[in-house]
Amino acid sequence: MTDEALLEVRGLKVGFPTPDGLVRASDTVDLRVYPQETLGLIGETGSGKTVLGMAILRLLQPNTIIEGEIRYRGRDLLTLPEDDMRKVRGREIGIVLQNSGTSLNPVYTVGTQIAEAVTLHQGLNGPDAWQRAVELLDTVGIPDPVRMAGEYPHQFSGGMRERALIATALACRPTLLIADEPTKGLDAVTKRGIIDLFSEIDRDHRSVLFITHDIETVEDLATRVAVMYAGEIVEVGGAKEVLGDPAHPYTRGLLASLPERGMQPIPGSAPSLITPPPGCRFSPRCGRACGDCRSEHPGLVEVGPGHYARCMLYDRG
Amino acid sequence: MSRKRVILAASFGIVFTYCAVALLAPVIAPYDPHAITGAPLSPPDEDHLLGTNDLAQDVFSRLIWGTRATLLLGFIGATIAVAIGTAAGIVSGYYGGLIDEAVMRILDVAMTIPIFPLLLIFTTFFRPKIYLIAILMGLLGSFQGVRVIRSQVLSLAVADFVVGTRALGAGDGYIMARHILPGVLPLAGVKFVTSAQHFMLIGIGLGFLGITDPSVVDWGQMINRASQNGAMVLGLWWWLIPPGLAVTLISLALAWLGYACEDEINPRLRVMRI
Amino acid sequence: MIEVSNIRTYFTTGFIHRRVVRAVDDVSFQIEGGETLGLVGESGCGKTTLGRSILRLIEPDEGRVVVSGTDVTALSRKDLRRFRPRMQMIFQDAYASLNPRMRVSESISEPLNIHRMGSRADIDRRVRELIDEVGLNEELLNRRPYELSGGQNQRVVLARILALKPEFIVADEPTSALDVSVQAQILNLIRDLGQEYDMSCLYISHDLGVIRAMSNRVAVMLEGRIVEIGRATDVLDRPCHPYTRRLVGAPGSLESTPFTGALDMVEERPGHWVEETAARQGAHPPER
Repeated sequence: MTDEALLEVRGLKVGFPTPDGLVRASDTVDLRVYPQETLGLIGETGSGKTVLGMAILRLLQPNTIIEGEIRYRGRDLLTLPEDDMRKVRGREIGIVLQNSGTSLNPVYTVGTQIAEAVTLHQGLNGPDAWQRAVELLDTVGIPDPVRMAGEYPHQFSGGMRERALIATALACRPTLLIADEPTKGLDAVTKRGIIDLFSEIDRDHRSVLFITHDIETVEDLATRVAVMYAGEIVEVGGAKEVLGDPAHPYTRGLLASLPERGMQPIPGSAPSLITPPPGCRFSPRCGRACGDCRSEHPGLVEVGPGHYARCMLYDRG
Repeated sequence: MSRKRVILAASFGIVFTYCAVALLAPVIAPYDPHAITGAPLSPPDEDHLLGTNDLAQDVFSRLIWGTRATLLLGFIGATIAVAIGTAAGIVSGYYGGLIDEAVMRILDVAMTIPIFPLLLIFTTFFRPKIYLIAILMGLLGSFQGVRVIRSQVLSLAVADFVVGTRALGAGDGYIMARHILPGVLPLAGVKFVTSAQHFMLIGIGLGFLGITDPSVVDWGQMINRASQNGAMVLGLWWWLIPPGLAVTLISLALAWLGYACEDEINPRLRVMRI
Repeated sequence: MIEVSNIRTYFTTGFIHRRVVRAVDDVSFQIEGGETLGLVGESGCGKTTLGRSILRLIEPDEGRVVVSGTDVTALSRKDLRRFRPRMQMIFQDAYASLNPRMRVSESISEPLNIHRMGSRADIDRRVRELIDEVGLNEELLNRRPYELSGGQNQRVVLARILALKPEFIVADEPTSALDVSVQAQILNLIRDLGQEYDMSCLYISHDLGVIRAMSNRVAVMLEGRIVEIGRATDVLDRPCHPYTRRLVGAPGSLESTPFTGALDMVEERPGHWVEETAARQGAHPPER
């Protein structure tokens, strides 16, 4: 990749102080999103993927400890004053949050909430904003958008609510769209509809950071894939390479545990983020762990063109 | 220790002390509260720690004995109120349907009854013993908070673990006692503490109006007699102020305990996943 | 063997305009001993209500359920309670399935205590056996649900249910809230234990991959009715009904035919039944 990265995360550390200690949700994360690509960020609960998405838009709680850089088009978002950051949110980077059930205010109509996004950033008012809201509902595939814009969130089904949230995120035509588990809790058919929707959005000259634990959803959508485990990126590369012939044992285990591919479980459970295992964080559960794995912490090493993995198998010397 | 813990400990300490004083009154009080002991209206000295009142009774002893009436009214009343209210809330919320409707409608009517005026009328006409006053207060005060308990029960009753226990073959009574009741105990605890505080104050109020059980030493009565006999004007602070302070202190302690209970209700049961 | 005949469960809503929602509309099927029947459908099709209706956790309005020769629907409340150990349910949300105030050991011993299955010592011993069977460490016995992960909680739920040695289990999306790697662990566990205890299972899910891995036969549910039922490989690889076709990703329609009275099931192939209208339209699927 020779293009300038649209979004570059460097050395990001996110920590949550708790009574039991500091939870290291992200530990020195480096990640790049290039223009007009869809990057799938795969990880399970506790991997730090949602925290990463929220950190980019500085949506985390005030007492969170954040270090590192998040460069968007050259500017470090972490050092921006709040006013400037507000202009970035929604306008340049849009986000579709998890839990569509609670993301929409039940008291206002869906159209009003989408129009709100437009009014905030583009200064459109009243009928113009409403018109844009209706257009957006149409773009995301909601049937009868004129009528649906006037309905309330509880009248929308789960899949439709998800589409409405995507519409809100796209309202100001952001260059980067972050989607956090957009297909969670949806059944197979609705899920496919949402995936189709995303593949259409991609063509609109924007980048998508697609955060999910559902590997199948990124198989067709993503150009590149990054895998997170215990707060770190453990593998990143082209989608076909990472999902077809994964280098990291965790990725391998994850794919093998899919029902379609044999349902082989990974033994053990996710590590504590307060006191992560020494050395390679996956070593306690890795079938190929050796002495070095438990004492040394591997770095991200190139295992193929544009394909990196964090594993002692490749990080010799 | 954090500030919250200090306040909690202090509150418990105060309540415990009051209870101890009430129980040990015959032992601690230097004089019989009704007996005449020396010169009337004399200021505090080594014989009488808080001086004497107009009938030459020892104020300090009366203060100590007065603890009994106050605590009795508060705690017995609160126990009755919580028992009835919690049971009603649980049964109503768990079974739903007609039972729930019936309880709610009774509640609608009952909650419009003002407790203090009704108590006033009753005690004025019937001059009941203190135990009866406590029971009556408990009955009238049971309606408060039933709705809150019922809400909690409503959400508990449809929780998967309740349905699951029913699927295991448990009966309704078992489920209500073993699974629902523990879930509403914090709420019942809050109700107990706030009811106790409320009833103690009402009791003092009744005493102040002079219509409580006259055979019992009561702080309200003391304040009443003191102010009627010009204690303020004559500067007889030892007669007028101590009962008021005493009730203020226990009231504060119970209020703090109530807040502490409310705090307990919220955080423990939720886990945040990132 | 489980025999479900003509179950109907309706919900009426609305105060002035009464509307009847036919959550389960005339469902019938059988499950052989030791067999797992997968139940798929979109959200809202009624599969959860069906599962609960069969166990009489929601009372069905009509129909009959026979479990190992006993007509469950005709039992009195008291007899039903005594019968319950033989038919159990696993819910989706493991955290919600356990009383957050009870320790793991208490949750597992509860069913044994309710049905008075042995002395305190016997029950303790059985609890230890069970926690071992579900692959959990004994030291977790003193913990509470919020101290355990979703997967661990689901194992506790399994131990609780197995305590009663049920013959029939309804699993209502037990792993959809879990991560993929944990899901694999739990599904393998359910499968192994199912074989060991020789249990019949109704496995409800909307995830076709999981259904395929866990089921011998599959039933497809749409708007309260079963539209297709047959061997898992048949239904998922060579679906006949247009709705099933759409579910598995083949060309087909999501629209349902309006319910115009008794719709018969036609046996397209041995053991593979499809709702009549689809068969009538000659919707023979292309071989995949």
